[in-house]
Amino acid sequence: MSAEVEFAPSGFSAVEPPPRPVGNFAAAALRFGSLIAFAAILIIFSLTAPYFLSIGNIGNVLGQSAISGVLAIGLTIVLIAGGSNVVTGGIDLSLAANMGLSAAVYVSLTQLGYSDATAIAATILTGALIGTVNAIAVVYAGIVPLLATLAVMNVVAGLELVLTGNTVLPASTPFLSALSASDPFGIPVLAYVLLGFTAITTAIVQYTPLGLRLYAVGEFPDAARAAGLPLRRLLAGAFVASGVSGGIAGILSVSYLSGSTTGAGEMLLPVVVTALLGSVFSRRLVPTVTGTLLSALLVGFLVNGFQLLNISSTLVSGVQGVLILIVVSATTLLRRQEA
Amino acid sequence: MSIEKSENGLGRRDLLKLSAAAGVAVAGASLIGQKPAFAAGEELSLKGKRIAISATGTDHFFDLQAYNAQIEEVKRLGGEPIAVDAGRNDGKLVSQLQTLIAQKPDAIVQILGTLSVIDPWLKKARDAGIPVLTVDVGSTNSINNTTSDNWGIGKDLALQLVSDIGGEGNIVVFNGFYGVTPCAIRYDQLVNVVKYFPKVKILQPELRDVIPNTVQDAFTQITAILNKYPEKGSIKAIWSAWDIPQLGATQALAAARRTEIRTYGVDGSPEVLQLIADPNSPAGADVAQQPAEIGRTAIRNVAKLLAGQTLPRETYVPALLANKTNVGEVTKKLGIG
Repeated sequence: MSAEVEFAPSGFSAVEPPPRPVGNFAAAALRFGSLIAFAAILIIFSLTAPYFLSIGNIGNVLGQSAISGVLAIGLTIVLIAGGSNVVTGGIDLSLAANMGLSAAVYVSLTQLGYSDATAIAATILTGALIGTVNAIAVVYAGIVPLLATLAVMNVVAGLELVLTGNTVLPASTPFLSALSASDPFGIPVLAYVLLGFTAITTAIVQYTPLGLRLYAVGEFPDAARAAGLPLRRLLAGAFVASGVSGGIAGILSVSYLSGSTTGAGEMLLPVVVTALLGSVFSRRLVPTVTGTLLSALLVGFLVNGFQLLNISSTLVSGVQGVLILIVVSATTLLRRQEA
Repeated sequence: MSIEKSENGLGRRDLLKLSAAAGVAVAGASLIGQKPAFAAGEELSLKGKRIAISATGTDHFFDLQAYNAQIEEVKRLGGEPIAVDAGRNDGKLVSQLQTLIAQKPDAIVQILGTLSVIDPWLKKARDAGIPVLTVDVGSTNSINNTTSDNWGIGKDLALQLVSDIGGEGNIVVFNGFYGVTPCAIRYDQLVNVVKYFPKVKILQPELRDVIPNTVQDAFTQITAILNKYPEKGSIKAIWSAWDIPQLGATQALAAARRTEIRTYGVDGSPEVLQLIADPNSPAGADVAQQPAEIGRTAIRNVAKLLAGQTLPRETYVPALLANKTNVGEVTKKLGIG
């Protein structure tokens, strides 16, 4: 059973239904448009960019997307349970800072001589703790997530500064080396981590009753309450899950950057964009874990393709923004047309 | 933001053209003077070669000059540059290096970067059979590092500072990037010099300069320090390992009317050299590197390496100390007057 259920259209639309043939086409385009766009981008790069279509390169992109992918998937869980309203709905702005602090915790512990196992446990605990603080602020204190997680973000970023003194702390342990290595085919281990993480979260969020409840809480809180669902507990759980994702991303980032570095906060906006963009890869334009994975990979492939095409890196973010705008507006227009 | 950047870019590119002519003349003369073996009838070529240039960032005068000069030099020698700029983001830097390794260029030139972050990936490039050269970052995995003589820079700057303050007084130090090798060397040289002037004291705790928002942050931190040490003479000088914090510090001194304090930095950013030239500004000295010349030298080293020559471990390009008395001369030499 898929949790990506067909929701009844909410509210009445004043838009006249378009003529049938166009409507069918639009509906099909909506369903597959973003996937087709993604495929088109991949095909264009495969034809024009040397080395693009090699196993090593595709593995590289998967590995390079691991950190932002894990963060964005964590955010997706909050988006699902909190509802998709950008201002009042679910959002976790503390995720990037969470990753920074988690990375700093990991490195500090290994520098103090603790084992990888201890460091991993402490790091994930750190992430979970940050998620718990978010959950308390949002669910029990009733603060709007946008503000609550913004405040937590600042506290967490401050703690990271205290721990690292805003310097780069190097780390090198057997576990970290294994995590940043590649398999004999040249595929980075991080790529497998991303796929594994996605598979597990997809299984939980899209294919269990728990996941279905998360969607219910986010989209139709009143109905969910009437049905007797534990709203608060589910929403709090989503924030904790997001916090844990931040902790996991922290570990990945330590292995990727051979330590904890400054500037984790810069990840925030790209991660938010990735998670929001993820909706266009689902049929009902709702946040899904697989949609977010696709969106993270789309961004990864864009950056990679541009570099392989030797397009000046100053243009990359601009072109990326334009492409995202095109994809999102096309899908939004099609959605309106369908309605 | 982007408009501002492109404007800066144009302005700097013009400067680059000016400095290129002067730089070539100066460098040519110094090459002939020092190493006649290399200068005599040298026919370097990168024809048919793909040379990767990986910059940590280009938001700073030094980086931008070195980066652009490298791209130009690769083209001039007939090669194809693959240039990537990580925008001071370590994650992006590592991703770009990874992709570069997959592209299998004939050589990779890495400009700056935190050693612990980039070194594992430079090693992977080396393991993949790609020669790695560096600019301003010494690594065991790089064949050659082209840089200014940072020991000389650190010593010159420290001696100028100590002499300006008469061998006694408190100095405020920005030490946020000790992980970056050139900054570490300059800082160590300051400590070495100060050791022999017992009346000079580095105030604790040291300040940490940050990226981005370096200027605003330095301004805020210095303003706070000035409030902590309100009486004149309690601070004699402010030192930083590069000159962007120096810019913010100098502005903060001017705003607080504490112009008796002098500021010191490295890199020769045009805006800081201008301040030094202003007799009323508290900017004391700035050691100007020749980034464009450093960039070109690194690319010529690549060409030499690919032609089968053996490279020295480090290639030093001379730096010029600009103080209140000689700043006019130095800017003329750098071609940014």
